[in-house]
Amino acid sequence: MTSRIPAGMRYYIGAEARLRRTVEDVAMSVFEGWNYEEVITPSVDYYDLFEQGMGRAEAQRGFRFTDNDGRLLALRPDVTSSVARMAATLLSERPRPLRFCYAAPVFRQQTQSHAEWRRENTQLGCELIGVGGTAADLEVLRLAAEILARLNLQSRCCITINNVEIFNGVAAHLNLATAAREQLRRLIDTRAAAELRQFLQTLSDNEARAFSQPTQLTGKREVLKTARATITNARSIAALDSLEELWTEIESLGLDNSFEIDLGDVSSLDYYTGLSLKIFVHGAGASVGRGGRYDGLTGSFGRAEPAVGFVLNLDALTEVLGRGGKQD
Amino acid sequence: MQESALALLARAGIGMSDDAVNSRRLALVDETGQYRFIFVKPADVPVYVEHGIADCGIVGRDVLLEAEADLLLPLDLGISRCRIVVAAANADAMTKVQGMIRVATKYSQIARAHFGSRGIPVEIIQLSGSVELAPALGLADMIVDLVETGVTLRENGLTVVEEIAVSTGRLVVNRASYQLKTEEVARLVKALESTLNGGQ
Repeated sequence: MTSRIPAGMRYYIGAEARLRRTVEDVAMSVFEGWNYEEVITPSVDYYDLFEQGMGRAEAQRGFRFTDNDGRLLALRPDVTSSVARMAATLLSERPRPLRFCYAAPVFRQQTQSHAEWRRENTQLGCELIGVGGTAADLEVLRLAAEILARLNLQSRCCITINNVEIFNGVAAHLNLATAAREQLRRLIDTRAAAELRQFLQTLSDNEARAFSQPTQLTGKREVLKTARATITNARSIAALDSLEELWTEIESLGLDNSFEIDLGDVSSLDYYTGLSLKIFVHGAGASVGRGGRYDGLTGSFGRAEPAVGFVLNLDALTEVLGRGGKQD
Repeated sequence: MQESALALLARAGIGMSDDAVNSRRLALVDETGQYRFIFVKPADVPVYVEHGIADCGIVGRDVLLEAEADLLLPLDLGISRCRIVVAAANADAMTKVQGMIRVATKYSQIARAHFGSRGIPVEIIQLSGSVELAPALGLADMIVDLVETGVTLRENGLTVVEEIAVSTGRLVVNRASYQLKTEEVARLVKALESTLNGGQ
């Protein structure tokens, strides 16, 4: 039996291990250049922490076992939960903002999709805690772009950004029941154009028409203009304003080639509270990174404050770089 | 599915010569040279697209529901329409459920989700074909299967008890490809969409 390896686990040997180490070093040196302090969090923690930090559906994917006193433990399925708790408790007296980065393996017993084979993934991530607003959002976006550029992936990547409050504002304005809101979210998320139009016809309000043409949700600045033509509720407008402000900054930094606005990215609405981002690289069939603003998280540990961050998947990046992007 | 999908693509200006299609090669390039086609079994379509080996795919909704694939579904192509149903010997079978039922099917995920959402305990008996035989031979009380005309069901003494979903061919797109090849994907979606609208 000892010759067998559990599903989703693997070795890295020689050149591949070196490449992996190089990618990790590049990311960590970029973080360091922006004054992010490295943090090493416990590999094992109470399951409750992760349920609180990630939501039940995500935390349940983790490996679980029990402590001597019978309390449920988990092999960490993410790092952010632990950093948020640390900021709110251990470091509650430290002057803000806090900047932390890490390179740490996370474990998921159940993967999210069939394409996701690995159950151990190393996250290269950062968290900026204690500041809100465009400047903080921009800082983490610039970090992500800089890491990708240093890995020579600049011309082969796309970072999509959205503000989840645009959808939330529309859903609240329409007064949708939980089930209907989830249906609308799912139809937008899967870009099911015909079903979406059918669903929207059942609503008397025009507001949601902003989402009726999935192809118009993805692009550069013009996406915001199209959305503004139909969206009138104050909550969504405020979110559109802040997204536009962010986009203007991205343009003025000349980074707009690597970025795209995607108002259809509504996959983790319950977690993020403002900016959400996903990172795609040619040669990888799924996103290689994600992140966003999660102002609600530290509050659940006793100290509510703004926070934003992202993670890159080291294993997925190593795989793409190791192949040299031959898949395309 | 393959025939009607190829016919639809040809009408949208993405054609392949008959010789090419009949050549039994599993990977082909269309006449414009813009698209590469891969021919795989229906159940493998979501696999290729989820991994991003193929950017887009055409596959029935039945396969997608069964695979629980995480894909974008921009277009319902309306081809190869059929229904996913629960069938049994008696039309009132569902009202006589006691304790639990045995369900034979090729679609174990769909069956489990369907009965599960209604709180009915089921024993799923996974078969790979000729599911209609199972009730007559006493292997199962009901079946969950794909029905096009209903002839096969009738010939085996079964009637439709419930319809779970309608299945048609769908265009599916990989999430990363949608962001990284935005224009190419949009062009394909648009070509197919205007062909569908023009045909109605």
